[in-house]
Amino acid sequence: MTKSIVAIDLGVGGMTCDDCVVHVTDAKSVAGVESARVDFDSRGAVVTAQSDVVAEVLAAAVRTTGHYNAFERRRRAVSGE
Amino acid sequence: MSDPFDLLILGSGSTAFAAAIRAADLGARVAMVERRTLGGTCVNRGCLPSKNLIEAARIVHEAAHPRYAGLTPAEVGVDFTALVEQKDAVVREYRAKKYASVADGLTDVELLEGDATFLDAHTVQIGDRQASGDRILIATGSHPTVPPIPGLDEVSFLTSDLLDADEASRLTELPESLVVLGGGYVAVELAQMFARLGSRVTVVTRSGLLSRYEPELGRILTEVFEAEGIEIIRDASVHRVRGDARGVEVEMRQGSARRIVGAARLLVAAGRTPNTDMLGLERAGIAFDEDGFVTVDAHLRASLPHVWAAGDVIGHQHDSQMATPVGARQGRIVADNAFTDARRAFDGRVIPRAIFTDPPIAVVGLRESEATSRHLPAVSATTPLQHVPRAGAVHRTTGLVKMVASTVDEQVLGVHVIGEAAPEIIHEAAMAMKFKATAADFVELIHVYPTMSEALKIGAQAFSRDVSMLSCCAE
Repeated sequence: MTKSIVAIDLGVGGMTCDDCVVHVTDAKSVAGVESARVDFDSRGAVVTAQSDVVAEVLAAAVRTTGHYNAFERRRRAVSGE
Repeated sequence: MSDPFDLLILGSGSTAFAAAIRAADLGARVAMVERRTLGGTCVNRGCLPSKNLIEAARIVHEAAHPRYAGLTPAEVGVDFTALVEQKDAVVREYRAKKYASVADGLTDVELLEGDATFLDAHTVQIGDRQASGDRILIATGSHPTVPPIPGLDEVSFLTSDLLDADEASRLTELPESLVVLGGGYVAVELAQMFARLGSRVTVVTRSGLLSRYEPELGRILTEVFEAEGIEIIRDASVHRVRGDARGVEVEMRQGSARRIVGAARLLVAAGRTPNTDMLGLERAGIAFDEDGFVTVDAHLRASLPHVWAAGDVIGHQHDSQMATPVGARQGRIVADNAFTDARRAFDGRVIPRAIFTDPPIAVVGLRESEATSRHLPAVSATTPLQHVPRAGAVHRTTGLVKMVASTVDEQVLGVHVIGEAAPEIIHEAAMAMKFKATAADFVELIHVYPTMSEALKIGAQAFSRDVSMLSCCAE
């Protein structure tokens, strides 16, 4: 069975420059994450991941990359089962 | 309707701003909704304007009543209207500097003006627009309580809103005479202020001044007030108020006697009521108690998982106090809990508080009676300020320090001070209590001589010795 894929919108705090974007993007190493796009201007990120990836794990990964914070805004289905 | 905000805050006072600043730091898009003036009670009609006018009143009083032989009393003329105008300028400047420009600088924080009413658990109506929040903070503060006294709804009366710089409730003319209903902190601060500025003041109370504090504090303040010409009517039960353009009459029962007190103006200072009655909390399914305070857990979360409440609107739950810095602390806690995994609880065990009368009052921790009612074995020591060298040196000996300590481990549980500089020195006591200091720790700390802070050291020494038999700085 193929797991469904979701797009998770994250709010991201603490980014002050493009270097921060690079650091935060490093958090995509979380298991189950397929891609992560961090946007400095909107202070957000869109993470494409398997549906069983929970926001708390993503947020924790972002926090460990530096003085950043993340939280889930929305989650929407990208592909079905 | 636009996208929901990450955090929709109802209110724009110190609680709301602290939450907004922290939430924005954490990456949130925030809105604050304000129905009155930006900044809330403290800056507009509370702490700040009252302290401004109280200090002016002190200058007037001290000039007329010098404490030193050799100084001649002098009369300082009072132009109340001009005094109020400078107070208003201070309020506006402070509001611009500490609130409006801060809000302008927060690019992710939007200010929405109007009355907010819940439509559902995530959405509020504000005038002709709607706004919604994934998370919501209720920080709407409080307003002066209007007690259900017959006739009160038919007369013009003042509340602490008289301090406002911009609203219709503001006072610009000094009343020739004033009846104050209430004996709490707002009542005593404003009663003494008006008396010193020239009003004839009568304070009408049910249970004396500051009945929720250590009894020694209210007792000394009563003596001071009466010496300054303020009449205090205790044990009074007000049962009717009448009034017309010439003034008001307050009809009361004092024991078996009936009494009527008249004055040009009436000031009602009977506590504070949470600003929740117009919010439609029941439509959102948000629980509140019988007095209208929003029910929260120790993490300041309300009865819905995405809703928090903080500041005056939660009253005294979890040892909270209705005070500006308490709200600010709670606002930050809410932001942390809403956008991180911090799970912070509010800790209200050590909250220093002050009443800016003259002499001022400051307290932290438990009263002796509270310790008893919590079954904590405790003892108290009360030390008059004449044992404090600084107080004697500057002829400011009116007052005392009362310390409450555990008889199990000598940990200080409460400190209560009335006297010169009490609101400043209370921080030493608060810091000590935060780190669970004992009475001996206060004694062990070398204090600057001669300062009012020595009152804490001498007050702690009073647990074990006769402080009248100590030389300066002796341990």
